[in-house]
Amino acid sequence: MNLVYKEMKCLEFKRLALSDPNSSVHGFVEHSANCPHCLKYVGGVRQMDADLASSVDVEMPAALMARLQLNQELSEESENSAIKSVLPIRRYAMAASFALALFVAGFMASNQFNGSSIGDDYQALLSGVVEHMNEQAITPVWSAERANLNATTLLASYDPSLKLKFLSNLQFSRICPMGQYKGLHASLETTDGQVTFAYIKGDSVGQLLDAGYEGYISRVKPVRGGNLIIMSRTNKGLQEADSQLEKAMYWDI
Amino acid sequence: MTDLSNVTDQKQVNYSVMDKKRKYALLIEAHSTDLYKYALWLCKDKHMAEDVMQEAFLRAWKSLDSLREAKAAKGWLFTIFRREHARQFERKRFKYADVESMDTIEDDKHMGYDDRPEAFALRNALKRLPQDYRDPLEMQVLGGFSCDEIAQILNISSSAVMTRLFRARKKMRVILGEETATHLGVVGD
Repeated sequence: MNLVYKEMKCLEFKRLALSDPNSSVHGFVEHSANCPHCLKYVGGVRQMDADLASSVDVEMPAALMARLQLNQELSEESENSAIKSVLPIRRYAMAASFALALFVAGFMASNQFNGSSIGDDYQALLSGVVEHMNEQAITPVWSAERANLNATTLLASYDPSLKLKFLSNLQFSRICPMGQYKGLHASLETTDGQVTFAYIKGDSVGQLLDAGYEGYISRVKPVRGGNLIIMSRTNKGLQEADSQLEKAMYWDI
Repeated sequence: MTDLSNVTDQKQVNYSVMDKKRKYALLIEAHSTDLYKYALWLCKDKHMAEDVMQEAFLRAWKSLDSLREAKAAKGWLFTIFRREHARQFERKRFKYADVESMDTIEDDKHMGYDDRPEAFALRNALKRLPQDYRDPLEMQVLGGFSCDEIAQILNISSSAVMTRLFRARKKMRVILGEETATHLGVVGD
């Protein structure tokens, strides 16, 4: 009887050892202290766990930790600027209206801003991109090498002849859903902040359009096989990004 | 980054009174290394792992106010990561399941893993487990979670976790073969 009782306890112990080898349950600890066979058994299980953990041990890239911190700082900046833009809105309403009027007038005078209402095609493209930008609190910051490699590959998957020259300030690139479309979402760091651009394959819009949209200065530009949409907080950033993309994107045909 | 060298036990930290920035810095300091190991293991690709991690940490930052207890931080972060991973890569991973099974020691070495044959055999055995068994074992061995924490993350009962872990280790031994298992330290019944 005593032997049967011991076997039962050992079986129970082994079952627990395979479920939770580091269990601190009193009976488990006590049994391992009094049964050399089971102690050896659980030692084996722990050793396999340690070997398994060691087999998947890798060093975390140093740059990743820095990027995690940087993303947070950018996110915080973005949150703060959003709050700042909402809070003093009443206090500065008149001044802002006046500034906006001057801004629009300036654009129209320089023939860079189409004051008429935005057509449906443009509206759909812009709303798709902005919807996606709003969903994604902040765009991750990658190394330029990775972002360029990704962008080149993704663009080639759309059209093998579509090429991209290396952009040292390209920070991110990925295929993303954007409203009713799906396209390449990427970002460039300009001297005037981060600028987002998207390449959406499909029918090209008739002509280039600059418009203020949801707080962004936007440009929808017909390109071969689709449209290029550029979104910036400032006109300077928009112009800089477009100029760079104009030189970098080409069709090798 | 905030100097965290004086923090000796992360579980003793009172998150509810802590500044959000410091809380975030503490999360990175305390859990990013473990999370990266887990991320790389799940994603099987360095770039994807980094990408999902960045997204997960951004989501963590956004909802950091809801995290009150330091002892819950790791489970909370891993849950965010798992959701983000599922959201971004579940379909892709499924699609490339056949490719995964063709991993070689060279592939693993490229990812920074131990390239000794016994380490490779262990990783392969883990990969070959059914997902229901593999998930809790990965969390216990790679993530260092308790059965109760795993139950919470997977949204199943603790007894179900125990059963799955038991079966996972039994199956690992079968996959590895008794000879290898004995060599690795797992003695027979």
